[in-house]
Amino acid sequence: MYVQGVGDTTLDDVLAASGVSKSQLYHHFDGKDALVRAVIDHVGERVIERERDALGHVSTIAGLRRWRDSLVQNNALRHGAYGCALGSLASEVTDHDTLARQALSNLFTEWQGLLAGVLRRLQDSGVLAPEASVDQLATGLMAALQGGYMLAQTARDVTPMATSVDMALAHIESLSAG
Amino acid sequence: MRTCFAEVLARESASLAEVTDGVMLANWRRRVVKELMTPRSPYALALRQSGDVPERADLLDRWRELIAETLERLLKSGATGNALCSSAQTPRADIDAQKAAVLILAALHGGSTLSQIARDPWPLNAALDFALAPFAATEDDGPTRTRNE
Repeated sequence: MYVQGVGDTTLDDVLAASGVSKSQLYHHFDGKDALVRAVIDHVGERVIERERDALGHVSTIAGLRRWRDSLVQNNALRHGAYGCALGSLASEVTDHDTLARQALSNLFTEWQGLLAGVLRRLQDSGVLAPEASVDQLATGLMAALQGGYMLAQTARDVTPMATSVDMALAHIESLSAG
Repeated sequence: MRTCFAEVLARESASLAEVTDGVMLANWRRRVVKELMTPRSPYALALRQSGDVPERADLLDRWRELIAETLERLLKSGATGNALCSSAQTPRADIDAQKAAVLILAALHGGSTLSQIARDPWPLNAALDFALAPFAATEDDGPTRTRNE
């Protein structure tokens, strides 16, 4: 579903992909919105787990660059075609689906919290200036990452994502206290 | 879909051409934020990840070029905010306008997605403050007299 996009996926696509019957699907999911939410929960859990492993102990700019390298390399394998699973869901979820929107918003808050944790450790060790706003920088970095994924997906080329995150990290580095 | 891409491009090409200093850049940014936070505006529609991909790729390419040209102009004229008073501390010459334009476009794109799911313009504004910081076009930078849109 996240390959094709929420809006372009019909229940029949899901049936064809999963090999289950419509009655089985409806037995588990109360229509498409419930299915979308289940996909969000599943994808969200995976992404947050990956990011917690990748960012949980990072406390240097070099560590942030390694995090960036791994995301860019992963995305380059498919010429950026799949983008970020969570970001794709976020840009497609319909306005009327309040629960899905809320679930995505919580997941992004959690992910951004991990980035803010890294920035706070940079601040504690004196690398990042004490007056820098950690929440604003974490949001800026997340938007650069997500926007970069979307540009790469549209261009079918990972370069804009790499450039966008590099520029964001360079800006954070330029705010270093030293 | 096609019409919203054309409309965004026409409007951006007109409004970015007018930008000759940091204050006007801040005005441009305020206008774009307003458009992106309006659910059915052509801007919001154009950036949704659905519809015709080659059309959107074309819009994004040309929008990035327009932003890069604007940044080049600002850098050349030395008209970016703090370059006037702190040239010793921040050598503007080291900024790559092409790459900075990619970050600004990504901030618009990613920031508006974060703002839409949060139902709050804060993430988009934070993302743009971040991306535009070298050009001093932060939200509270513009004197009130310029708010005449």
